[in-house]
Amino acid sequence: MEEVNLLAESFKFMILGMSVVFLFLIALVQFIKLQAYLINKYFPEAPPAPATPVANTSEDENKRVAAIIAAVSEFRKNKS
Amino acid sequence: MKIKQFLISLFFVLFALTSVVQAGGHPAPATDAVAEESAEEKVYQPKSISELMGSFWETTGINAIIDIDDGEMTAEPAGPSAERPMTWFESSLGRIIMIILVFILFYLAIAKNFEPLLLIPIAFGGLLANIPLAHMGGEHGMLGVIYNMGIANEFFPLLIFMGVGAMTDFGPLLANPKTAILGGAAQFGIFGSLIGAVAMGFGLQEASAISIIGGADGPTSIFIANRLAPDMLGAIAVAAYSYMALVPVIQPPIMRALTNKAERQIKMGVQRKVHRLEKLIFPIVVIMLSMLILPESTPLIGAFAFGNFAKESGVVDRLSDTMQNSLINIVTIFLGLGVGSKLAADKFLVLETMGIMIIGLIAFSAGTAMGVLMAKVMNKFSDEPINPLIGAAGVSAVPMSARVVSKVGSEERPGNVLLMHAMGPNVAGVIGSAVAAGVLLSIFK
Repeated sequence: MEEVNLLAESFKFMILGMSVVFLFLIALVQFIKLQAYLINKYFPEAPPAPATPVANTSEDENKRVAAIIAAVSEFRKNKS
Repeated sequence: MKIKQFLISLFFVLFALTSVVQAGGHPAPATDAVAEESAEEKVYQPKSISELMGSFWETTGINAIIDIDDGEMTAEPAGPSAERPMTWFESSLGRIIMIILVFILFYLAIAKNFEPLLLIPIAFGGLLANIPLAHMGGEHGMLGVIYNMGIANEFFPLLIFMGVGAMTDFGPLLANPKTAILGGAAQFGIFGSLIGAVAMGFGLQEASAISIIGGADGPTSIFIANRLAPDMLGAIAVAAYSYMALVPVIQPPIMRALTNKAERQIKMGVQRKVHRLEKLIFPIVVIMLSMLILPESTPLIGAFAFGNFAKESGVVDRLSDTMQNSLINIVTIFLGLGVGSKLAADKFLVLETMGIMIIGLIAFSAGTAMGVLMAKVMNKFSDEPINPLIGAAGVSAVPMSARVVSKVGSEERPGNVLLMHAMGPNVAGVIGSAVAAGVLLSIFK
Protein backbone atom coordinates (compact mmCIF):
# COMPACT_ATOMS: atom_id res chain seq x y z
CA MET A 1 0.00 0.00 0.00
CA GLU A 2 1.48 3.30 -1.00
CA GLU A 3 1.86 6.15 1.43
CA VAL A 4 -0.91 8.75 1.12
CA ASN A 5 0.43 12.24 0.68
CA LEU A 6 -1.73 14.07 3.20
CA LEU A 7 -0.52 17.51 2.18
CA ALA A 8 -1.47 16.95 -1.45
CA GLU A 9 -4.77 15.57 -0.23
CA SER A 10 -5.52 18.63 1.86
CA PHE A 11 -4.57 20.85 -1.06
CA LYS A 12 -7.20 19.08 -3.15
CA PHE A 13 -9.71 19.64 -0.34
CA MET A 14 -8.93 23.33 -0.51
CA ILE A 15 -9.52 23.53 -4.24
CA LEU A 16 -12.79 21.64 -3.96
CA GLY A 17 -13.96 23.56 -0.91
CA MET A 18 -13.17 27.04 -2.15
CA SER A 19 -14.70 26.39 -5.56
CA VAL A 20 -17.91 25.03 -4.01
CA VAL A 21 -18.16 27.98 -1.62
CA PHE A 22 -17.64 30.49 -4.43
CA LEU A 23 -19.98 28.65 -6.77
CA PHE A 24 -22.66 28.63 -4.12
CA LEU A 25 -22.28 32.30 -3.34
CA ILE A 26 -22.09 33.35 -6.99
CA ALA A 27 -25.25 31.36 -7.70
CA LEU A 28 -26.80 33.05 -4.69
CA VAL A 29 -25.83 36.50 -5.95
CA GLN A 30 -27.34 35.76 -9.35
CA PHE A 31 -30.57 34.56 -7.74
CA ILE A 32 -30.73 37.66 -5.56
CA LYS A 33 -30.31 39.88 -8.62
CA LEU A 34 -32.93 37.90 -10.54
CA GLN A 35 -35.48 38.02 -7.76
CA ALA A 36 -34.84 41.73 -7.16
CA TYR A 37 -35.45 42.37 -10.86
CA LEU A 38 -38.60 40.22 -11.01
CA ILE A 39 -40.12 41.52 -7.80
CA ASN A 40 -39.53 45.15 -8.62
CA LYS A 41 -40.95 44.60 -12.08
CA TYR A 42 -44.15 42.79 -11.14
CA PHE A 43 -44.77 43.99 -7.58
CA PRO A 44 -43.44 47.54 -7.56
CA GLU A 45 -43.42 49.11 -4.13
CA ALA A 46 -46.53 51.26 -3.74
CA PRO A 47 -45.62 54.96 -4.05
CA PRO A 48 -45.74 56.65 -0.65
CA ALA A 49 -49.26 57.80 0.14
CA PRO A 50 -49.75 61.59 0.05
CA ALA A 51 -48.63 62.84 3.42
CA THR A 52 -51.34 65.42 4.16
CA PRO A 53 -55.01 65.06 3.28
CA VAL A 54 -56.09 67.56 0.64
CA ALA A 55 -59.22 68.60 2.58
CA ASN A 56 -57.09 70.58 5.01
CA THR A 57 -58.58 74.01 4.29
CA SER A 58 -57.85 77.18 6.18
CA GLU A 59 -61.35 77.14 7.68
CA ASP A 60 -60.65 73.74 9.29
CA GLU A 61 -57.36 75.05 10.53
CA ASN A 62 -59.03 78.06 12.18
CA LYS A 63 -61.56 75.80 13.89
CA ARG A 64 -58.80 73.58 15.23
CA VAL A 65 -56.82 76.53 16.55
CA ALA A 66 -59.94 77.89 18.23
CA ALA A 67 -60.65 74.54 19.85
CA ILE A 68 -57.09 74.28 21.13
CA ILE A 69 -57.14 77.78 22.58
CA ALA A 70 -60.46 77.07 24.26
CA ALA A 71 -59.16 73.83 25.76
CA VAL A 72 -55.97 75.46 27.04
CA SER A 73 -57.76 78.39 28.66
CA GLU A 74 -60.26 75.98 30.24
CA PHE A 75 -57.36 73.92 31.60
CA ARG A 76 -55.65 76.99 33.06
CA LYS A 77 -58.90 78.15 34.65
CA ASN A 78 -59.34 74.80 36.36
CA LYS A 79 -55.79 74.84 37.54
CA SER A 80 -55.88 78.25 39.23
CA MET B 1 -76.09 3.78 51.71
CA LYS B 2 -75.64 0.33 50.24
CA ILE B 3 -74.94 1.80 46.85
CA LYS B 4 -72.31 4.08 48.27
CA GLN B 5 -70.56 1.21 50.07
CA PHE B 6 -70.69 -0.85 46.90
CA LEU B 7 -69.13 1.95 44.89
CA ILE B 8 -66.36 2.41 47.42
CA SER B 9 -65.55 -1.29 47.48
CA LEU B 10 -65.62 -1.40 43.69
CA PHE B 11 -63.18 1.50 43.61
CA PHE B 12 -60.84 -0.34 45.98
CA VAL B 13 -60.98 -3.52 43.93
CA LEU B 14 -60.20 -1.58 40.73
CA PHE B 15 -57.37 0.23 42.45
CA ALA B 16 -55.88 -3.04 43.66
CA LEU B 17 -56.19 -4.55 40.19
CA THR B 18 -54.53 -1.65 38.40
CA SER B 19 -51.66 -1.56 40.84
CA VAL B 20 -51.11 -5.31 40.35
CA VAL B 21 -51.13 -4.80 36.58
CA GLN B 22 -48.70 -1.91 36.85
CA ALA B 23 -46.34 -3.90 39.03
CA GLY B 24 -46.47 -6.76 36.54
CA GLY B 25 -45.98 -4.45 33.57
CA HIS B 26 -42.95 -2.67 34.97
CA PRO B 27 -40.62 -5.03 36.75
CA ALA B 28 -38.07 -3.11 38.77
CA PRO B 29 -34.79 -2.82 36.83
CA ALA B 30 -32.22 -5.38 37.91
CA THR B 31 -29.63 -2.70 38.63
CA ASP B 32 -31.85 -1.15 41.30
CA ALA B 33 -32.11 -4.48 43.07
CA VAL B 34 -28.33 -4.86 43.00
CA ALA B 35 -27.87 -1.36 44.35
CA GLU B 36 -30.29 -2.08 47.18
CA GLU B 37 -28.45 -5.27 48.09
CA SER B 38 -25.09 -3.57 48.23
CA ALA B 39 -26.61 -0.78 50.29
CA GLU B 40 -27.91 -3.37 52.76
CA GLU B 41 -24.52 -5.04 52.97
CA LYS B 42 -22.90 -1.76 53.95
CA VAL B 43 -23.96 -1.83 57.59
CA TYR B 44 -22.92 1.22 59.53
CA GLN B 45 -19.98 0.57 61.85
CA PRO B 46 -19.47 2.70 64.94
CA LYS B 47 -16.54 5.07 64.42
CA SER B 48 -14.33 6.95 66.80
CA ILE B 49 -14.09 10.71 66.48
CA SER B 50 -10.60 10.48 64.96
CA GLU B 51 -11.83 8.02 62.34
CA LEU B 52 -14.67 10.40 61.48
CA MET B 53 -12.25 13.27 61.14
CA GLY B 54 -9.96 11.13 59.00
CA SER B 55 -12.67 10.01 56.62
CA PHE B 56 -13.93 13.56 56.32
CA TRP B 57 -10.40 14.69 55.44
CA GLU B 58 -10.39 12.09 52.67
CA THR B 59 -13.39 13.81 51.05
CA THR B 60 -12.07 17.36 51.15
CA GLY B 61 -10.82 19.13 48.05
CA ILE B 62 -7.56 20.02 49.79
CA ASN B 63 -6.78 16.34 50.16
CA ALA B 64 -7.81 15.61 46.58
CA ILE B 65 -5.39 18.23 45.30
CA ILE B 66 -2.50 17.34 47.63
CA ASP B 67 -2.80 13.56 47.53
CA ILE B 68 -1.73 12.76 44.01
CA ASP B 69 -2.24 9.00 44.10
CA ASP B 70 -5.86 8.86 45.21
CA GLY B 71 -6.98 7.07 42.07
CA GLU B 72 -9.59 9.66 41.15
CA MET B 73 -11.25 9.01 37.80
CA THR B 74 -11.78 11.56 35.04
CA ALA B 75 -15.36 12.70 34.53
CA GLU B 76 -16.74 11.71 31.11
CA PRO B 77 -20.24 12.48 29.88
CA ALA B 78 -20.19 9.23 27.90
CA GLY B 79 -20.29 7.20 31.09
CA PRO B 80 -17.93 5.17 33.29
CA SER B 81 -16.64 3.07 30.38
CA ALA B 82 -14.81 6.11 28.95
CA GLU B 83 -13.23 7.08 32.25
CA ARG B 84 -9.60 6.60 33.15
CA PRO B 85 -7.57 7.35 36.26
CA MET B 86 -6.23 10.89 36.45
CA THR B 87 -2.52 11.45 36.24
CA TRP B 88 -0.81 13.26 39.10
CA PHE B 89 -0.52 16.41 37.01
CA GLU B 90 -4.20 16.48 36.10
CA SER B 91 -5.45 16.01 39.62
CA SER B 92 -3.16 18.57 41.24
CA LEU B 93 -1.23 21.24 39.35
CA GLY B 94 -3.35 21.06 36.20
CA ARG B 95 -6.46 21.90 38.17
CA ILE B 96 -4.85 24.93 39.71
CA ILE B 97 -3.64 26.15 36.29
CA MET B 98 -7.13 25.74 34.86
CA ILE B 99 -8.75 27.58 37.74
CA ILE B 100 -6.34 30.48 37.23
CA LEU B 101 -7.16 30.42 33.50
CA VAL B 102 -10.86 30.57 34.36
CA PHE B 103 -10.25 33.66 36.44
CA ILE B 104 -8.43 35.26 33.52
CA LEU B 105 -11.48 34.54 31.36
CA PHE B 106 -13.71 36.16 34.00
CA TYR B 107 -11.47 39.20 33.92
CA LEU B 108 -11.62 39.42 30.11
CA ALA B 109 -15.39 39.09 30.15
CA ILE B 110 -16.14 41.54 32.95
CA ALA B 111 -13.41 44.16 32.79
CA LYS B 112 -12.67 44.05 29.06
CA ASN B 113 -16.20 43.16 27.92
CA PHE B 114 -15.09 40.45 25.45
CA GLU B 115 -18.26 38.56 24.50
CA PRO B 116 -19.32 38.23 28.15
CA LEU B 117 -22.46 36.37 27.10
CA LEU B 118 -20.27 33.48 25.99
CA LEU B 119 -17.25 33.76 28.23
CA ILE B 120 -19.08 33.93 31.56
CA PRO B 121 -21.00 30.64 31.13
CA ILE B 122 -18.00 28.89 29.55
CA ALA B 123 -15.59 30.02 32.24
CA PHE B 124 -17.98 29.16 35.04
CA GLY B 125 -18.53 25.76 33.50
CA GLY B 126 -14.76 25.37 33.50
CA LEU B 127 -14.60 26.31 37.15
CA LEU B 128 -17.25 23.73 38.05
CA ALA B 129 -15.58 21.07 35.93
CA ASN B 130 -12.32 21.46 37.83
CA ILE B 131 -13.82 20.83 41.25
CA PRO B 132 -12.27 17.64 42.57
CA LEU B 133 -14.38 14.60 43.52
CA ALA B 134 -17.73 16.24 42.63
CA HIS B 135 -17.69 14.56 39.20
CA MET B 136 -19.81 17.29 37.67
CA GLY B 137 -18.70 16.55 34.13
CA GLY B 138 -19.66 12.88 34.52
CA GLU B 139 -22.66 11.12 33.07
CA HIS B 140 -24.90 12.08 36.00
CA GLY B 141 -23.26 15.36 36.91
CA MET B 142 -24.86 18.68 36.07
CA LEU B 143 -22.41 19.56 33.30
CA GLY B 144 -22.42 16.04 31.91
CA VAL B 145 -26.21 16.02 31.70
CA ILE B 146 -26.17 19.34 29.85
CA TYR B 147 -23.44 18.06 27.55
CA ASN B 148 -25.35 14.91 26.67
CA MET B 149 -28.57 16.84 26.28
CA GLY B 150 -27.49 19.11 23.48
CA ILE B 151 -23.82 19.14 22.59
CA ALA B 152 -23.05 15.46 22.10
CA ASN B 153 -26.00 15.22 19.71
CA GLU B 154 -25.39 18.58 17.92
CA PHE B 155 -28.75 19.98 18.99
CA PHE B 156 -27.72 23.24 20.67
CA PRO B 157 -25.67 24.54 17.72
CA LEU B 158 -28.73 24.19 15.50
CA LEU B 159 -30.91 26.07 17.98
CA ILE B 160 -28.32 28.84 18.08
CA PHE B 161 -28.38 28.98 14.29
CA MET B 162 -32.16 29.31 14.41
CA GLY B 163 -31.88 32.25 16.78
CA VAL B 164 -29.15 33.89 14.72
CA GLY B 165 -31.35 33.46 11.65
CA ALA B 166 -34.22 35.16 13.43
CA MET B 167 -31.95 38.03 14.43
CA THR B 168 -30.34 38.53 11.03
CA ASP B 169 -31.57 41.15 8.61
CA PHE B 170 -30.53 40.19 5.10
CA GLY B 171 -31.42 43.64 3.80
CA PRO B 172 -27.80 44.84 3.40
CA LEU B 173 -26.87 41.69 1.50
CA LEU B 174 -29.91 41.96 -0.75
CA ALA B 175 -29.20 45.62 -1.43
CA ASN B 176 -25.63 44.96 -2.51
CA PRO B 177 -25.43 41.26 -3.43
CA LYS B 178 -21.88 41.24 -4.77
CA THR B 179 -20.50 41.75 -1.26
CA ALA B 180 -21.50 38.12 -0.69
CA ILE B 181 -18.33 37.15 -2.56
CA LEU B 182 -16.31 38.63 0.30
CA GLY B 183 -18.00 36.19 2.66
CA GLY B 184 -16.70 33.45 0.39
CA ALA B 185 -13.14 34.74 0.29
CA ALA B 186 -12.90 34.69 4.06
CA GLN B 187 -13.53 30.93 4.01
CA PHE B 188 -10.02 30.60 2.65
CA GLY B 189 -9.01 30.72 6.30
CA ILE B 190 -10.69 27.35 6.77
CA PHE B 191 -9.07 25.56 3.88
CA GLY B 192 -5.70 27.28 4.13
CA SER B 193 -5.31 26.27 7.74
CA LEU B 194 -6.43 22.76 6.85
CA ILE B 195 -3.12 22.43 5.03
CA GLY B 196 -1.34 23.93 8.03
CA ALA B 197 -2.97 21.48 10.41
CA VAL B 198 -2.01 18.52 8.22
CA ALA B 199 1.54 19.84 8.07
CA MET B 200 1.58 19.92 11.87
CA GLY B 201 0.78 16.23 11.94
CA PHE B 202 -2.96 16.05 12.53
CA GLY B 203 -4.98 13.47 10.61
CA LEU B 204 -7.19 14.65 7.75
CA GLN B 205 -10.46 14.43 9.68
CA GLU B 206 -9.02 16.10 12.75
CA ALA B 207 -7.39 18.80 10.64
CA SER B 208 -10.72 19.53 8.95
CA ALA B 209 -12.48 19.82 12.29
CA ILE B 210 -9.84 22.19 13.62
CA SER B 211 -9.63 24.38 10.56
CA ILE B 212 -13.35 25.18 10.67
CA ILE B 213 -12.42 27.52 13.53
CA GLY B 214 -11.30 29.83 10.71
CA GLY B 215 -14.97 30.46 9.99
CA ALA B 216 -15.05 32.05 13.45
CA ASP B 217 -18.34 30.40 14.10
CA GLY B 218 -18.85 28.57 17.38
CA PRO B 219 -21.98 26.58 16.48
CA THR B 220 -20.56 25.40 13.15
CA SER B 221 -17.31 24.37 14.83
CA ILE B 222 -19.17 22.28 17.42
CA PHE B 223 -21.31 20.73 14.71
CA ILE B 224 -18.32 19.68 12.63
CA ALA B 225 -16.10 18.64 15.53
CA ASN B 226 -18.83 16.31 16.70
CA ARG B 227 -18.94 14.55 13.36
CA LEU B 228 -15.26 14.47 12.48
CA ALA B 229 -13.23 14.54 15.70
CA PRO B 230 -15.42 14.12 18.80
CA ASP B 231 -12.39 13.71 21.06
CA MET B 232 -11.21 17.20 20.27
CA LEU B 233 -14.61 18.86 20.59
CA GLY B 234 -13.79 20.62 23.84
CA ALA B 235 -10.61 22.28 22.70
CA ILE B 236 -12.10 23.19 19.31
CA ALA B 237 -15.20 24.74 20.86
CA VAL B 238 -13.17 26.68 23.39
CA ALA B 239 -10.79 27.90 20.66
CA ALA B 240 -13.65 28.91 18.37
CA TYR B 241 -15.48 30.80 21.08
CA SER B 242 -12.39 32.50 22.41
CA TYR B 243 -11.46 33.73 18.95
CA MET B 244 -15.04 34.94 18.48
CA ALA B 245 -14.59 36.86 21.69
CA LEU B 246 -11.22 38.18 20.56
CA VAL B 247 -12.45 39.53 17.21
CA PRO B 248 -11.95 43.16 18.35
CA VAL B 249 -8.33 42.35 19.27
CA ILE B 250 -7.26 40.13 16.38
CA GLN B 251 -8.91 41.76 13.39
CA PRO B 252 -8.00 45.48 13.46
CA PRO B 253 -4.19 45.02 13.19
CA ILE B 254 -4.63 42.72 10.20
CA MET B 255 -7.05 45.15 8.60
CA ARG B 256 -4.66 48.06 9.08
CA ALA B 257 -1.64 46.12 7.85
CA LEU B 258 -3.24 45.22 4.54
CA THR B 259 -4.78 48.57 3.61
CA ASN B 260 -3.51 52.12 3.26
CA LYS B 261 -5.11 55.18 4.77
CA ALA B 262 -6.80 56.34 1.58
CA GLU B 263 -8.47 52.95 1.16
CA ARG B 264 -9.68 52.89 4.73
CA GLN B 265 -11.29 56.30 4.25
CA ILE B 266 -13.37 55.30 1.25
CA LYS B 267 -16.97 56.28 1.73
CA MET B 268 -19.62 53.91 0.43
CA GLY B 269 -22.89 55.02 -1.14
CA VAL B 270 -26.33 54.78 0.37
CA GLN B 271 -27.92 51.38 -0.03
CA ARG B 272 -31.08 51.00 -2.07
CA LYS B 273 -34.34 50.19 -0.34
CA VAL B 274 -35.11 46.48 -0.33
CA HIS B 275 -38.57 45.21 -1.16
CA ARG B 276 -40.31 43.25 1.59
CA LEU B 277 -40.94 40.33 -0.77
CA GLU B 278 -37.23 40.02 -1.51
CA LYS B 279 -36.49 39.51 2.17
CA LEU B 280 -39.33 37.03 2.47
CA ILE B 281 -38.22 34.91 -0.47
CA PHE B 282 -34.50 35.01 0.33
CA PRO B 283 -34.43 32.24 3.00
CA ILE B 284 -36.34 30.01 0.60
CA VAL B 285 -33.82 30.69 -2.16
CA VAL B 286 -30.96 29.83 0.20
CA ILE B 287 -32.52 26.58 1.35
CA MET B 288 -33.38 25.56 -2.22
CA LEU B 289 -29.81 26.21 -3.36
CA SER B 290 -28.28 24.24 -0.51
CA MET B 291 -30.79 21.47 -1.12
CA LEU B 292 -29.62 21.18 -4.71
CA ILE B 293 -25.90 21.68 -4.23
CA LEU B 294 -25.06 20.53 -0.73
CA PRO B 295 -27.68 18.64 1.30
CA GLU B 296 -24.96 17.96 3.93
CA SER B 297 -25.13 21.57 5.00
CA THR B 298 -28.92 21.73 5.29
CA PRO B 299 -29.15 21.08 9.05
CA LEU B 300 -27.26 24.31 9.68
CA ILE B 301 -28.62 26.35 6.79
CA GLY B 302 -32.11 24.93 7.32
CA ALA B 303 -32.25 26.06 10.93
CA PHE B 304 -30.87 29.43 9.92
CA ALA B 305 -33.36 29.86 7.09
CA PHE B 306 -36.25 28.79 9.31
CA GLY B 307 -35.42 31.45 11.88
CA ASN B 308 -35.11 34.09 9.20
CA PHE B 309 -38.31 33.03 7.43
CA ALA B 310 -40.24 33.21 10.70
CA LYS B 311 -38.93 36.74 11.20
CA GLU B 312 -39.59 37.99 7.69
CA SER B 313 -43.02 36.38 7.34
CA GLY B 314 -44.24 39.02 9.77
CA VAL B 315 -47.15 36.91 11.01
CA VAL B 316 -45.42 34.85 13.70
CA ASP B 317 -43.77 37.60 15.70
CA ARG B 318 -44.27 35.60 18.88
CA LEU B 319 -42.22 32.70 17.53
CA SER B 320 -39.46 34.81 16.04
CA ASP B 321 -39.35 36.86 19.23
CA THR B 322 -38.87 33.68 21.27
CA MET B 323 -36.18 32.42 18.92
CA GLN B 324 -34.13 35.60 19.01
CA ASN B 325 -34.52 36.22 22.75
CA SER B 326 -35.59 33.58 25.24
CA LEU B 327 -34.64 30.50 23.25
CA ILE B 328 -31.20 31.68 22.23
CA ASN B 329 -30.52 32.91 25.76
CA ILE B 330 -31.44 29.58 27.32
CA VAL B 331 -29.40 27.66 24.79
CA THR B 332 -26.43 30.00 25.28
CA ILE B 333 -26.43 29.25 29.01
CA PHE B 334 -26.49 25.52 28.40
CA LEU B 335 -24.02 25.63 25.53
CA GLY B 336 -21.60 27.70 27.57
CA LEU B 337 -21.73 25.42 30.58
CA GLY B 338 -21.48 22.33 28.41
CA VAL B 339 -18.48 23.64 26.49
CA GLY B 340 -16.98 24.79 29.78
CA SER B 341 -17.07 21.23 31.08
CA LYS B 342 -14.34 20.52 28.55
CA LEU B 343 -12.09 22.99 30.34
CA ALA B 344 -11.38 20.25 32.90
CA ALA B 345 -7.63 19.88 33.32
CA ASP B 346 -7.59 16.29 32.07
CA LYS B 347 -9.18 17.31 28.77
CA PHE B 348 -7.78 20.74 28.13
CA LEU B 349 -4.16 20.55 29.26
CA VAL B 350 -2.96 18.23 26.52
CA LEU B 351 -0.47 18.97 23.80
CA GLU B 352 -3.12 18.88 21.06
CA THR B 353 -4.87 21.88 22.59
CA MET B 354 -1.84 24.05 21.92
CA GLY B 355 -1.85 22.96 18.27
CA ILE B 356 -5.57 23.64 18.01
CA MET B 357 -5.22 27.10 19.51
CA ILE B 358 -2.37 27.99 17.16
CA ILE B 359 -4.06 26.66 14.02
CA GLY B 360 -7.30 28.35 15.05
CA LEU B 361 -5.54 31.68 15.30
CA ILE B 362 -3.84 31.20 11.92
CA ALA B 363 -7.12 30.14 10.35
CA PHE B 364 -8.95 33.14 11.72
CA SER B 365 -6.25 35.60 10.70
CA ALA B 366 -5.97 34.09 7.22
CA GLY B 367 -9.73 34.40 6.76
CA THR B 368 -9.67 38.04 7.75
CA ALA B 369 -6.69 38.78 5.52
CA MET B 370 -8.19 37.04 2.52
CA GLY B 371 -11.46 38.91 2.92
CA VAL B 372 -9.66 42.26 3.02
CA LEU B 373 -7.52 41.40 -0.02
CA MET B 374 -10.57 40.28 -1.97
CA ALA B 375 -12.33 43.53 -1.11
CA LYS B 376 -9.29 45.45 -2.40
CA VAL B 377 -9.49 43.58 -5.69
CA MET B 378 -13.23 44.22 -5.93
CA ASN B 379 -12.68 47.91 -5.24
CA LYS B 380 -10.33 48.07 -8.24
CA PHE B 381 -12.84 46.55 -10.64
CA SER B 382 -16.11 47.86 -9.29
CA ASP B 383 -17.88 51.01 -10.45
CA GLU B 384 -19.02 51.91 -6.97
CA PRO B 385 -16.31 52.36 -4.36
CA ILE B 386 -15.88 49.48 -1.90
CA ASN B 387 -14.07 50.07 1.35
CA PRO B 388 -11.64 47.13 1.75
CA LEU B 389 -12.28 47.06 5.48
CA ILE B 390 -15.66 45.41 4.95
CA GLY B 391 -13.86 42.34 3.63
CA ALA B 392 -12.79 41.55 7.19
CA ALA B 393 -16.44 41.03 8.06
CA GLY B 394 -16.50 37.99 5.79
CA VAL B 395 -15.68 35.77 8.77
CA SER B 396 -18.98 34.74 10.19
CA ALA B 397 -18.81 36.19 13.70
CA VAL B 398 -22.17 37.97 13.44
CA PRO B 399 -22.49 40.84 14.19
CA MET B 400 -19.25 41.25 16.06
CA SER B 401 -16.90 41.59 13.10
CA ALA B 402 -19.24 43.98 11.27
CA ARG B 403 -19.19 46.17 14.35
CA VAL B 404 -15.41 46.02 14.49
CA VAL B 405 -15.21 47.04 10.83
CA SER B 406 -17.54 49.94 11.48
CA LYS B 407 -15.49 51.03 14.48
CA VAL B 408 -12.19 50.98 12.57
CA GLY B 409 -13.82 52.79 9.66
CA SER B 410 -15.20 55.59 11.81
CA GLU B 411 -11.84 55.97 13.58
CA GLU B 412 -10.18 56.57 10.22
CA ARG B 413 -12.83 58.99 9.09
CA PRO B 414 -15.36 60.23 11.62
CA GLY B 415 -18.89 59.96 10.32
CA ASN B 416 -18.12 57.13 7.92
CA VAL B 417 -20.60 54.46 8.96
CA LEU B 418 -19.76 51.10 7.39
CA LEU B 419 -21.96 48.96 9.64
CA MET B 420 -24.71 48.22 7.14
CA HIS B 421 -22.21 47.66 4.33
CA ALA B 422 -20.24 45.25 6.51
CA MET B 423 -23.36 43.29 7.45
CA GLY B 424 -23.61 42.05 3.85
CA PRO B 425 -20.33 40.10 3.84
CA ASN B 426 -20.94 39.17 7.46
CA VAL B 427 -24.18 37.29 6.86
CA ALA B 428 -22.74 35.87 3.63
CA GLY B 429 -19.89 34.61 5.80
CA VAL B 430 -22.35 32.65 7.93
CA ILE B 431 -23.74 30.99 4.82
CA GLY B 432 -20.24 30.54 3.41
CA SER B 433 -18.90 28.77 6.46
CA ALA B 434 -21.96 26.54 6.64
CA VAL B 435 -21.30 25.61 3.01
CA ALA B 436 -17.62 24.98 3.76
CA ALA B 437 -18.69 22.78 6.66
CA GLY B 438 -20.99 20.87 4.34
CA VAL B 439 -18.14 20.31 1.89
CA LEU B 440 -15.90 18.92 4.63
CA LEU B 441 -18.68 16.63 5.85
CA SER B 442 -19.37 15.40 2.34
CA ILE B 443 -15.70 14.48 1.84
CA PHE B 444 -15.66 12.16 4.82
CA LYS B 445 -19.06 10.64 4.22
